Amino acid sequence: MLDGHLLLGWLSFTVIVYLFSLPGPTTAYFGLTGNEPLSILPLSSQPEERVAKAHYKLCDRLKLEKKQRRMCRRDPGVAETLMEAISLSALECQYQFRYERWNCTLEGRYRANILKRGFKETAFLFAISSAGLTHAMAKACSAGRMERCTCDEAPDLENRKAWQWGGCGDNLKYSNKFVKDFLTKKSNKDLRASVDFHNTLVGMKVIRTGVETTCKCHGVSGSCTVQTCWRQLSPFHDIGKKLKQFYEVSRKVGSSTNEATGEGDISQSRTQQQQQQQQQQQQQQQQQQPPELGSRDTIPKTMDLLHIEDSPSFCRASKYSAGTSARKCYKDKNCDAICCGRGHNTQSRVVTRPCQCQVRWCCYVECKQCTQREEVYTCKG
Amino acid sequence: MKMAGAIIENMSTKKLLIVGVILLLFQVFSFMVGGLIAPSPTTAVPYIATKCVDVVHHNQRKNKWFTPWGPNQCNKIRDFEEATAKRIEANNIVFAVHIPGPNKEMSAWFQFMLVILQFDIAFKMYNQIDDGAVVTIDVGLAYRDDSVSEWTEMAHSIEQRKLSCNFTTEKTIENEGRYYECDLLPFMEVGNVAHKYYLLNIRLPVNERKQVNIGIGEIKDIRLVGIHQNGGFTKVWFAMKTFLTPSILIIMIWYWRRITLMTRPPVLLEKMIFALGLSMTFINIPVEWFSVGFNWTWMLLFGDIRQGIFYAMLLSFWIIFCGEHLMDQTERNRFSVYWKQIGPIVFGSFCLFIFDMCERGVQLKNPFFSIWASEVGTELAMAFIIVAGICACLYFLFLCFMVYQVFRNISGKRSSLPAMTRARRLHYEGLIFRFKFLMLVTLACAAMTVIFFIISQVNEGHWHWGDYTVQVNSAFFTGIYGMWNLYVFALLFLYAPSHKQYGDGQSNGDQGANSGEDIQLTTTITHVDGPTEIYKMTGKESQE
Repeated sequence: MLDGHLLLGWLSFTVIVYLFSLPGPTTAYFGLTGNEPLSILPLSSQPEERVAKAHYKLCDRLKLEKKQRRMCRRDPGVAETLMEAISLSALECQYQFRYERWNCTLEGRYRANILKRGFKETAFLFAISSAGLTHAMAKACSAGRMERCTCDEAPDLENRKAWQWGGCGDNLKYSNKFVKDFLTKKSNKDLRASVDFHNTLVGMKVIRTGVETTCKCHGVSGSCTVQTCWRQLSPFHDIGKKLKQFYEVSRKVGSSTNEATGEGDISQSRTQQQQQQQQQQQQQQQQQQPPELGSRDTIPKTMDLLHIEDSPSFCRASKYSAGTSARKCYKDKNCDAICCGRGHNTQSRVVTRPCQCQVRWCCYVECKQCTQREEVYTCKG
Repeated sequence: MKMAGAIIENMSTKKLLIVGVILLLFQVFSFMVGGLIAPSPTTAVPYIATKCVDVVHHNQRKNKWFTPWGPNQCNKIRDFEEATAKRIEANNIVFAVHIPGPNKEMSAWFQFMLVILQFDIAFKMYNQIDDGAVVTIDVGLAYRDDSVSEWTEMAHSIEQRKLSCNFTTEKTIENEGRYYECDLLPFMEVGNVAHKYYLLNIRLPVNERKQVNIGIGEIKDIRLVGIHQNGGFTKVWFAMKTFLTPSILIIMIWYWRRITLMTRPPVLLEKMIFALGLSMTFINIPVEWFSVGFNWTWMLLFGDIRQGIFYAMLLSFWIIFCGEHLMDQTERNRFSVYWKQIGPIVFGSFCLFIFDMCERGVQLKNPFFSIWASEVGTELAMAFIIVAGICACLYFLFLCFMVYQVFRNISGKRSSLPAMTRARRLHYEGLIFRFKFLMLVTLACAAMTVIFFIISQVNEGHWHWGDYTVQVNSAFFTGIYGMWNLYVFALLFLYAPSHKQYGDGQSNGDQGANSGEDIQLTTTITHVDGPTEIYKMTGKESQE
């Protein structure tokens, strides 16, 4: 049972998960070195690497599932795009949660444990990773990195004809289709799996709703008698922000009576007492109120993110996070919240900061160094 | 002396209805052609520029082109952090865009290609966009017709574009990395797509001394959107033109023959209708077929001019039609009488022509030119457009006033109709009917144009009806185009001089009474002169 869930989680997840290895049974799937910092990720493939079938290696390194590997190998651009999607969603997750107790630590162990459960954070991870993949795929199409983007349905000659006759569908449509294909797997439908799948779909939907239609007039003398519109992705920051808002109002679903939800499995494992208590409370709550939101297979058709369990506090070090002790915080902003009432240390430091910079649009910044006295706050342990 | 009306006056209601139904059928057909057969009129393809590194920028190798993908692709960097790490300078970065995407090729059927530029600029506290920042773009366009040969330069230019970006959130350190919202910038316009592959190489050179490209913020990406007409739409459009040209041409010849068969010289309104037919034919003639075979870049400009001439003609026609139906005992029938009303049309069209020459005319030489890019150009363009707008307003005021006058006179004539002799009554009734009919048809056409224009603007471009996809935009274009053709066709047919005569037998007696008003009668299409003898005879025959 445990295995089955991990498999499911991994399946719909694919994206962030490639990054860091998970301990336990899941490690076997990846083999990627764990705890690898993002910056070292081999994102840019060198041209000399671009010999025939070079992308096969990349696809293999991602340790994909059979269908995914096939999709990855079909086009040299996919592997690269997958990598980019990973870093895109990882960076955005960390950016969105930089002031929170859970700061989207992607360090293998913690994340893996979160993925095993059905927290709000899990929901966010699923959503942001599918959103990231959709976004990256659409962008890769525009950049010409992918060989087969739109007009993909028919054999080559017909594709060419379709393009010459009426153009192709837009990249977003293709990327949506691809991601849905890539992240979907027919499997047993327990609550966890369907919630994860739902959250994955939410991520894709957010991209779709964030699309802006832009138009250009080009009629007689540039008038609007002829107008062409196209759909444009909104910046991924905006997507992240929206998903963060979704995260904050995430809806809880679940059935306490159903043993297949995975709660039973997880509570068997070394859960801390605190969390067991939480779970009991949660179960009591659920018994009190009628399970209006989704029993076993019914997932409400909403744009909301869904979670099954209440999140841990992330205050103390646990298997889900390293806790917030010694976390840097911002006074008057989030110190009270993230230090969990333990208070914070104040440290006065002299910092040198770049100032009065002379910058070019690319690659050149010349700054003076200004020294400043600054207070640094960290949470007490 | 016998009088001949226009065909429309002498036609029985039944026949008129039949003609109307046939025209309506053609109208529906022209909508269907666009909605069901043609694809959407244009396609927009988004591109993201690949950042290439020019390792040997300052050596002698000219014509070095950077290809973003495929064989011989350039040295790429993913983002500018990488460039900073590798100590690559701004001047060595080339943004490369290959049009179209992989596994596709452009075709002459695409007719034109215009490209829009958009910058992705991230907000940085210490690197913000200055007010009124101007980007200087060094851009080259090249083409080739197979995927292996060398690129051939088509155009090269150094352009300036004003950045108008705003940052919607607060400018604080927390919001660093968010993107500015920047307006679309016109980038390139090519009036014909003769080659299979195009390549754009864009540089943003920095020169601190001359303050070139300083203070333009942290550019993250350059995005382009390429717009071209769909091949399928072009084919349907051409087919339509090829079908319409002979139809209008034949009716024009028929119309002109009818006029020359008359003993009197043609009156102004007849000439005007003929001119309208001519300008319609001028639009219809499918010279665009040549653009498929020849590298004619002036097609866009030519199309604009043709449309402009037609619009000017149509507007003039309405004025003259109203004027000739005023029924106020004044001799008109001369073009010069209408200078006050025609003046604004001519002047307005001329302004738009100059504007178009400044934009699309210059683009023949430099496809990257845009009149909107420079301060002076924008003001000039705005001036032209405003003047044209004022002319349009003036024109409509005149037109409305004239229509009002006609209606006033009609109601005046109505009361005195029973007192008139039969021929005169019939004559006036004919005038009134003709005027009202055209008024109605014109208003219907104009309303249709406006309604469909709004529908096509509001809608997202296609409707689904079960298995059918209706391309609303294409239906709009073919439908409206077909409609104005039918309008001209109907005019030429219905307003041609008729060989039937009214007032048979009695008109002789009326002659004396008419003599005082003969002058007035000559001003209308229904000239006092009857058709020639042949026509009289055939007319008689057909009457019997």
